Formats: sequence, structure tokens, C-alpha cells
Amino acid sequence: MRIFLHECKKALTSPILIALLIVFSAFNIFIIVSSSDHKEELKMVNEIIDRYGREITDDSLKQFQKDIQNDLLELKGITGQQFDSVYVFLDGLRFEEQEQYSDKDWEFINSLQLKEMYFSMANSIDESYAEIDVVAGGQGDLKRYGIGGKAAETYSEENEEFAERFKEMVNNEEHKEWFFAGKSYFMHSFLFKTVFLHIIIESLLLIVLMTALITTYEFENRTQLLTYSTRRGRKLMKDKLAASLAVSTVISLLLFTITLGTYFFLFDYSHVWETSISSAFNWEYNFPNVTWWDLSVGEFLIGVLVLVFIIQLLFSGLTFALSVIVKSSYITFFLFATLFVLGWLLPTFMPKSSNLLFVSSYTLSTLTMAISQSFMGSNGLILFKNFEWMTISCWMVITIVFCAITYKYFRKMDIQ
Amino acid sequence: MIVVKDVSKQYGDFTALQNVNLEFGNGLYGLLAPNGAGKTTLIKMLATLIAPTEGEIFYNGKNINDMDDRYRERLGYLPQQFGYYKNYSPKQYLLYLAALKGIGKKDALDKIEELLEKVALSDVVNKKMKKFSGGMIQRVGIAQALLNDPEILILDEPTAGLDPKERARFRHLLTDLARERLVIISTHIVSDIESIANEIIMIRNKQLLYKDSVADICATLNGCVFETTIDYDQLEDFRKNNILLSEKQEYGNMTVRFIHKGDSEIEWTSVPPHLEDVFLYEYRDELEGDN
Repeated sequence: MRIFLHECKKALTSPILIALLIVFSAFNIFIIVSSSDHKEELKMVNEIIDRYGREITDDSLKQFQKDIQNDLLELKGITGQQFDSVYVFLDGLRFEEQEQYSDKDWEFINSLQLKEMYFSMANSIDESYAEIDVVAGGQGDLKRYGIGGKAAETYSEENEEFAERFKEMVNNEEHKEWFFAGKSYFMHSFLFKTVFLHIIIESLLLIVLMTALITTYEFENRTQLLTYSTRRGRKLMKDKLAASLAVSTVISLLLFTITLGTYFFLFDYSHVWETSISSAFNWEYNFPNVTWWDLSVGEFLIGVLVLVFIIQLLFSGLTFALSVIVKSSYITFFLFATLFVLGWLLPTFMPKSSNLLFVSSYTLSTLTMAISQSFMGSNGLILFKNFEWMTISCWMVITIVFCAITYKYFRKMDIQ
Repeated sequence: MIVVKDVSKQYGDFTALQNVNLEFGNGLYGLLAPNGAGKTTLIKMLATLIAPTEGEIFYNGKNINDMDDRYRERLGYLPQQFGYYKNYSPKQYLLYLAALKGIGKKDALDKIEELLEKVALSDVVNKKMKKFSGGMIQRVGIAQALLNDPEILILDEPTAGLDPKERARFRHLLTDLARERLVIISTHIVSDIESIANEIIMIRNKQLLYKDSVADICATLNGCVFETTIDYDQLEDFRKNNILLSEKQEYGNMTVRFIHKGDSEIEWTSVPPHLEDVFLYEYRDELEGDN
């Protein structure tokens, strides 16, 4: 245990790593705060859920509509005119008329505008989803990406299965739950793409540097002859691996806690944790976000967090194995960066008619870069239901084997 | 007892040691050879840092690599280049090494205090080592080698960086330690070991040349070492015909110490050979190459 703590201390007291951790945390806080100008508007969803419940039903929509009508009457009291919609009022509003209304009036008008937006979106869900043909969309994707042969067959098979899941999701009405308007606020992308990717890349940088530092510390400080001739000898590498994994976990936890703490402090998710992640309101781009399983926002967040932690531990393990061979933290860092990018680009080198196209995308790099679309069938060419667990399982085996081989090699190698 | 049996070490086409056989019991052994002769290779094999390409090394009849930590827990080792962590104090560094040596924290703290006093570093126990002189660092190195009270103590060039006073203190310390353990000192400085080693091991051309007492090794040159005084002008010719060991300018003449095998001349004075004479004689080719 003492050796393990000594090894952890080497990384945790490294000035450059401490400085990087502070800079990254500050940067993440800046990104979140600077994108939080709409945080008050998001509270509307919480109000809606409070009043009408999380699920969108015909009855709740009727009540919602009734309430909007009442609000329009109140608008009439403010403006002196009857409007069918607050948008009609806003479209006809001249610049010089704006000052006629008090801040309180504007607060009411903006709130009504949001209510109408959410009501309108909720009303059009059935229509929008009825237009979606998953199978035809898949065929379109095949044409767009120029995929043929065995690859096209595999893709179509999986896409048909996803079409079934899509039908099931619609029948279950998982999509009919309130969430922040995706096309207006892009909260899913902001959290899971922007914020998460920042944290992942930053913690990866720290983890790779720390793991390499711990593993190569003796060689870089020229104490290897001393440490590896002690009783602990080369088994010290086991302590180093354990220390690397522990420090990686601590660093990731710190970065996640600081960043996500800031995020959820600013953006109130208190009423949407149980909303389905496949909610129609979470539809941001051309196709709605639809997961293979019925996952709530909270479950999805936990799932992604678990996934990210496992990925980072695997990256730490792979860095450890690389460092044992390379024995230089900086060379290890650049080698890792190169391999990460190569892993991400690997599918682009594959023939588009072969299943290798899909097999080559089962890399930790692709899984990392596509983290916002985890567990989703609406995930382009990596729509596969087994993508996450299969990638993790394969790379866990690869990492364990790689670590075992390099450890065995290290046990036998000459230390100069 | 350590037995080195038919040990060879090769790095690709380069042979560092060839077919070396040695036996070590308790006592102090001086491993004497010029730089690059293979001393460090042998030492690293004894410290299990590198493995022999051929042959085996046994400790009390068991292969040291198979014994693994059971062998290394008996070992104290000071490498030629003693690395340290600049931002650690001697106490922090020795505590870390004590953990690696399997010594409990409480025992380690007592031992560290005792050893740092022994190597005269008591007043800098908590100072960062980046401010230390070469001699102080070397003394920390000596202290760490003794942390686990080793049965086998291997010191590679231990006097590098030590001043004459520290060297004398160190020799005294080694004499004490060698009473009840096996001490191997690798050096190319003859005076470090001449007066204290029970046996001297010399390696030449990758092979064992001598493993004997200082007296017996010196006896190989009995009657061959002379001193005489010559004119400075004669020095070049004298060098060509004899193996010069040392030369000293005195009152306008040169006093030379040299080896001559064969008939001596009347003005030459036969002197008892020293270990340094044997060293200079045996390694004359390597030393000339260095010059």
C-alpha cells in the first residue's frame, strides 16, 4: 500500500499536471457559463412538467391549450387587442412600441411565447414521426456513403432491427415526454458533445501524461537501477499500473465533478431526469435521438459516465503498456495521440463493400468521439446495438493482454 | 555464498563478458578493471538487472533469478550512476526505497536516522537533494544501499565524488561492514580497495584475469618492478624499451618506476610491486588506447 501511495504521489505532485488540471477546469467553467444565456428560458420545461406532468397526453395538451387561451386573454388586457397567438402580436410589433410595455409585461409575453413554442412542438410530434421511414432513411444513407456488398447487407439488417425498435418506441410513446426544445437549445449536443468531449479529451491528456509519468518515472530520473534491484523489483510495475488507474479515476472524477457541477448548477435538470432521452423534444438535427433501450435522461447520463470511466481506464492501461516499451513519457504521449487519431480514421481506410468498414469502427477512439450518440440507433454507420459493449469488451481483452505481455517482457528485459 | 558459473553476456554481436567463473564468500572483494572492461555488466547481473546470455549465478546453491525477491531482499546495491529525485529530501527518498525494500515505516524511520548519521548527513535530513553536492548525493546512495542491512552489498564506483576525507571514512565503514557480509566494490581506482580488499578480481578481454589476494597478485610481478633516475633526454628511449609505471621530475632528472622482465641493469633499484603496478601493467593496452 505504501508503494502504491508513493507512486500516486509522483503524479499528483507534478506541477505541470496540477497546472493543466486547473486550466482545464477553468476553461470548462468558462465554456459553460458563456453558453448559459438561455438558462432562464429552460425553466419553462420545469414549469410545464410541474403543471401537466412529464408525459404528453391528449388531456394534458388540452389543458395546456386552455391555459394558453387564458394567457392570450391576459395579453389582450396588456395590449388592448385580441391575438390568436403571441407570435401574431410580436410580428406586428413596431420597434417604438416596445417601450410601452413594462419589464413584467415582457416577462409574461416571453413566457407565453415559450409556452406556445412548446405547445406547437408537442402538437406536431405525431405528424413529424409519421413522416419518418427508418428503412428508407437507411437506404438513403447507404447511397450517400457509397456503401455496397456485404457492408450494405449488414447495415440494412441492423437498420431493419432499428426500425422495429423505432416502432416500439413510438408505440410506447417514449418520445412524448417533455424536455428542453432540442432545435432551439441543443442541450443534448451541448452537454454530451461539447461539454463531455471537452472533459474527455482533457482528462485523456491528463491520464496519458500521468500514466506515462508514473510508468517511466524511474527511467527518466535515472533511478531504474536502484528501484528495480530492490526486493519489490520489477513487480513495482504492478503498483505503477494500479497507481495509474487510481490516479486516472481521481483526475477524471475531479474534472467531471467540477465541470458537471457547474453545468447542473446553471442548468436546472431537476424535472427532466426521468424524461426519456428519446423524447421528441430532444430532436436536434435531421433525425431524432432514439436509443436502443428505453432510457431516461438520468439513466443515459449515468450510462455515458460509466462508459467514459471505463474508456479512460482502458486508455490508462494501454498507455501503461506503451510506456513500458517506450520508456519515455513524451514519446508515449505523442505515440498515443497518433494511435488515437489513427483509430478514429481507421474506417476511412476500409473498403466500403466489406464488413471491415464496421469492424474497424469498433475502436475506443470512435467510441470516445461518438459519445453523445451512445446507445443510439440513430448513430449513422455505427448504429449497431452491440457497439458500446462489444467495443468495451474487445478492448478490455486487448488491454489486459497487451498489459500482460508488456509486463512479462519487462520482467525479462535487461535494465541498463 | 555467490557462485558465478560459466557466465557470458552478449549484446547482439558484442560480447561484454565471456565465460566468467567466480565464487564469493563473506569478505570484501575489489572488482578492478578499467572503464568498459565489463565490471558494470557483471555487477548488474549480480543485482538481477540484466540476465546472463549463458551460464548462471547462484546464491547458496539457488539461481538468483529464480529466487527473485528472496535474493534481492538480501541485496544492497549502489549503482555507478546513482539517480535520485531532486525534489525529495534524503528522508523522503530513503522512505520510498525502504518501502520498495519491504521495510516497515517505523523501522525505516529509525534506520534512516541511524544511517544518515553514519554518512554524516544528519543535519540535512529534510533538505531537498537538488541542493546537494556530488559527495553528499553519493553518501545518500551509500546509506540507501545499507537500508535493509544486506547480506550482500554491491557498490559500483562508490567513491566517485567523495573527497579524500570522505573516502577514508568510507573505507573504514566498509571494513566494518565486510566482517559479517559479502561486499563487492567495483572500481578503477586502485587505492580505494588496495588496503581493504580480501581479494581482488581483475577482468581483461571480457574474461577473468585474476581472483586472488593483493599479495598474491602483486607477487606475479616480483623482481620485475624497478626504479631508477635518468636524464630527461633519455626518457623517450627508455619508454620504448621498458613499461613505465610512473615518472617524476626531481632536481632536473627523471625518477621512473617501470617493469622490466629480463636482466636488470646495475643502476636500477628493484622495488616491491604494488597493486597499481599490476593494474597498469595488465591493462597497458587499454590505458594507452584511452590516452
